[in-house]
Amino acid sequence: EAGVLELGSYPGPRMLSPERLALPDYEYLAQRHVLTYMEDAVCQLLENKEDISQYGVARFFTEYFNSVCQGTHILFREFSFIQATPHNRASFLRAFWKCFRTVGKNGDLLTMREYHCLLQLLCPDFPLELTQKAARIVLMDDAMDCLMSFSDFLFAFQIQFYYSEFLESVAAIYQDLLAGKNPNTVIVPTSSSGQHRQRPPLGEASLLEGVEASLFSQCLENLCDRHKYSCPPPALVKEVLSNVQRLTFYGFLVALSKHHGINQALGALPDKGDLMHDPAMDEELERLL
Amino acid sequence: MAAVEKRRPAVAAVAGFTDSGRPAASRTAATAESEEDFLRQVGVTEMLRAALLKVLEARPEEPIAFLAHYFENMGLRSPADGGAGEPPGQLLLQQQRLGRALWHLRLAHHSQRTAFNNNVSVAYACLSASGRKKKPGLDGRTYSELLKRICRDGEAPEEVVAPLLHKIQCRDHEAVPLDVFRAGMLTCFVLLEFVARAGALYQLLEDPTLAVADRRVGQAVLDTLEGALQASDAAATPSRYLEATSRLGPDSLALAMDRALGARRPGSPMTREEFLEKAAALFIAKVKPVA
Repeated sequence: EAGVLELGSYPGPRMLSPERLALPDYEYLAQRHVLTYMEDAVCQLLENKEDISQYGVARFFTEYFNSVCQGTHILFREFSFIQATPHNRASFLRAFWKCFRTVGKNGDLLTMREYHCLLQLLCPDFPLELTQKAARIVLMDDAMDCLMSFSDFLFAFQIQFYYSEFLESVAAIYQDLLAGKNPNTVIVPTSSSGQHRQRPPLGEASLLEGVEASLFSQCLENLCDRHKYSCPPPALVKEVLSNVQRLTFYGFLVALSKHHGINQALGALPDKGDLMHDPAMDEELERLL
Repeated sequence: MAAVEKRRPAVAAVAGFTDSGRPAASRTAATAESEEDFLRQVGVTEMLRAALLKVLEARPEEPIAFLAHYFENMGLRSPADGGAGEPPGQLLLQQQRLGRALWHLRLAHHSQRTAFNNNVSVAYACLSASGRKKKPGLDGRTYSELLKRICRDGEAPEEVVAPLLHKIQCRDHEAVPLDVFRAGMLTCFVLLEFVARAGALYQLLEDPTLAVADRRVGQAVLDTLEGALQASDAAATPSRYLEATSRLGPDSLALAMDRALGARRPGSPMTREEFLEKAAALFIAKVKPVA
């Protein structure tokens, strides 16, 4: 297995030369979060300054940037760093998978708290709230003490963690749609009531679960256009929403987590079928047995 | 998290960048001062500033990997050069020379002509330097190895670049002068970019489910490409050909493709390899072989 991470997020979609040459300096640097990593490199250097000599500084930076490329830089780091860039998030997902895939191999089912303990082994201050949200996707907001398989949890966790900001906005949009408000409504104050116009709520809407898929799809398309943070590829989101008439919020999240295309586009984890595929480990075990 | 917050203002001040706007966390003045002193003593500020300038000049596709290589090579340069100095007693092996030359060659994009030519000269000097068992000058064998390495790293399929190498390679024991070296490097990098663009073009043509392209469409694109290349000035430099291809307007190309689909019956599909080989051949045909 190659040591270098081949991700969709980093190094990122290959930019053919003229495009990246034409970008203003700050934008070019921001695209790959260069300054984030340089600042962090200096912080790490300061934390280890007792061990560094003059000759060692260059080597320290070499090792630092190499570890960023390989995706090992996020191990045992604080949560604020792990979530700081898309590459960091993807690296963390990949590390979690690699470290704990044996859990899945044995077919063990764990609770949300147990998965949280595993996460904290890699990131001591990983917030419980995030693990809970991930579990909610798997369990569909049902009994939170239930057991989950490794692959179910992993793919739900990927969506929740990598696309945190996006999901927050989606949740808000979903709430609006449930309340009968169309987020695209223009508010027109009338002289008398000051109430804004809304789509007249359908009598049956309250009886049906969830929201109308096509309207939801449209809102999400606008969301992806408007915001700079990571969104799943809009074409694939559209695909997910085109297969149904109505859907619930968690139904949507489950669909995202199970979508092969979205997983591949993200580039951190292999296909579900290959999750336990570990030829190196199998070889080791063969030698021992 | 608190530890990182504490250091951010010091780092921002030292590196001279504007911070993301976080308010300065409270910390003892002594800690901040001692950290700044340390950074200055060890030369980190200057080091990072130089590194960042190099990144902005070279605008590599993968700046983090570039930085890793930059600092790695820094360890090998002599202190006079701004490097940290080699551990005593270590001789440069052929592979290290090649690696260093490659690093220099990639510092600037070939379109940044002055910077690129400077880097070519430095790479040439690096490869020509005499060693314990080595006479000064660049021999054909090393030159060929370098060309192959560049093409491999550029991810161009071997069959695609082989005709070029055949044309511009020198005999193993022949001495390679600087102008031949420079022309060879330029041609090589331009070809790699050409192949990359052809690859991107092919991706637009291919049927996503079949991963091949309709032969009529592929051929129409290749014919248009050939026309564009012939139209350019006969005495032009390799990079002019790149200009010509990018001048291929979507409208004229779309017309050509449309016409092709209507005119002929569908034939066997065209694979990516075949398309790239043919496209590269159009370019390579224009390259003058080494005398």
